[in-house]
Amino acid sequence: MTDMAIQATGLVKQYGGKTALDQLTLSVPRGEIFGLLGHNGAGKTTTVNILTTLLPPSSGTASVAGRDIRTQPAQVRRVIGYLPENVQFYDNLTLNENLMFFAQLSGVQHPAARIRTVLDIVDFPGHEREHMGTFSKGMRQRAGIAQAILHEPAVLFLDEPTSGLDPQGVATLRNIIIRLNRELGVTVFMNTHLLGEVTRTCTSIGILGAGRLIYQDSISATLDSFPGQDSLEEIYLSIAAGTPS
Amino acid sequence: MAEVGVLCRKELKDLSRSRAIAMLLVFLSAVILLSVLVAAADYRVKLAEYTAYADALKAAGGSPTPPPNLFPLQMLRAGIEYLEIVGSLFAVILGYGLVAKEKGSNTLQLLFTRPLGRHAFAGGKILATVIVWLVVVAALFAVVALAVLLAGRAQLAGQDFLRLAIAAAHTWAYFIMWSLLALTLASLTRQPASGLVLALVLWLVIVLVIPQIGDTMDPDNQVPGGLFTSLQIDRTNEKALLTHFASYETGRDFVEQTSATKQYERAVFAYLGVKTQYNQVPLGAVWDATSHNSLWLLTTSVFTVAAAFLSTTRETLLRKLP
Repeated sequence: MTDMAIQATGLVKQYGGKTALDQLTLSVPRGEIFGLLGHNGAGKTTTVNILTTLLPPSSGTASVAGRDIRTQPAQVRRVIGYLPENVQFYDNLTLNENLMFFAQLSGVQHPAARIRTVLDIVDFPGHEREHMGTFSKGMRQRAGIAQAILHEPAVLFLDEPTSGLDPQGVATLRNIIIRLNRELGVTVFMNTHLLGEVTRTCTSIGILGAGRLIYQDSISATLDSFPGQDSLEEIYLSIAAGTPS
Repeated sequence: MAEVGVLCRKELKDLSRSRAIAMLLVFLSAVILLSVLVAAADYRVKLAEYTAYADALKAAGGSPTPPPNLFPLQMLRAGIEYLEIVGSLFAVILGYGLVAKEKGSNTLQLLFTRPLGRHAFAGGKILATVIVWLVVVAALFAVVALAVLLAGRAQLAGQDFLRLAIAAAHTWAYFIMWSLLALTLASLTRQPASGLVLALVLWLVIVLVIPQIGDTMDPDNQVPGGLFTSLQIDRTNEKALLTHFASYETGRDFVEQTSATKQYERAVFAYLGVKTQYNQVPLGAVWDATSHNSLWLLTTSVFTVAAAFLSTTRETLLRKLP
């Protein structure tokens, strides 16, 4: 049993003649909240899509919770939860019906009980009978996290989870992610642009540049390694510019 | 298989609450009902005219000629035309929506990070389409039959109900064909709207252009009311005359037969007795004369089911995400 929740070696993804990922090698230990940073087009979403088996890599290998994404994609899907950016769900269905649908598709044994549990975890009770078409962005994200953890995944992938949320929504979601990680032991892999949130939420970061991992370390080590920089934003900009101080 | 059932139930629930779909179906029902009511009024007038004539003749000591051929199912002619044109258009919109909304709301990514079988998504969508149209068509034909009975004050025999059921089955296959064609095209195109445009172009060609070409080429359509009727040429002589234009008629027939809409119309009009030559003809004889139309329609529908099943896979949908 490996201690790595995610292990990728030499991942390459090409779209036509364009290389989105170029020999990406990455390891995320179990129990981490890992933030993947990078400019637009750096390959963050492609990385998540490959690790969640939505996209096949052009070459290279990767495993999630010990399951190979190429040879065991169905097993990978059983141990991951995923929340894409700007997911809308089925507006004509209630929250309970949406969650019941995803619980049944995931083979959850006692879906009704599990739905109550996950709604407690994301602190979102009392909205089960409301149609999701009436939900705000923040409510949708909480519902999204709830659907992602219905089947008790080992690794949770979040693509820009706090994008478009108001400060209160960001704080709420941050607390949920931290609780999932600390209390339930879920490894979290998130793409984000909000560097302030990364500092508050993540335990480690990786920075992608032109499809390659150009930096990876824990948050505390990163902040210690750049004594002249006041914030993660400054550190990120200096690393991304290829001029670490 | 359980996943197919889960996906299908979700789809049915979603569709049953869709305001847009409800409005389209209410509109379709209303125009069909209206067309039957108009035809029923005309039917009642003709029946009353004959009854008055027969009564007057009897009172004068004469014996009236046999009643005119008032076949009540002929009231459905305009309704069937609405189904083949407007209904098929709605079927295209429904089929397109089944994939477009999943692509537009990013729910495909949620579905495909679940341990689903390769064809579970397609299976759920196809099954939902089949069930939706079964329910809608059954309801439409039940309403239509009631309208014929009540508004037309017509008497329907057991065989008439069978004819209605056969027409409904053809309509069911026809709608499934259009919905699954649109679903296939929306799956195969990166932007679902492009798939919709393609489906609408095909709809335009199959539903409007080809039948119009066939009608324009029909010699009997060259004069309002019918060329042969206006020249007082009866059916036997019409057939004898057309044998001199066999090649032309074969070509015209071939053009029409390339349209699934025309196949549907020919079969349904025959079973309902809308076409005079099939009026009061036993069902077996109608089958003998039009089985190729029914079988072509069935083949086309089965083909679209296969196309939807094979095209609406995880690989295709994820490769074609907007």
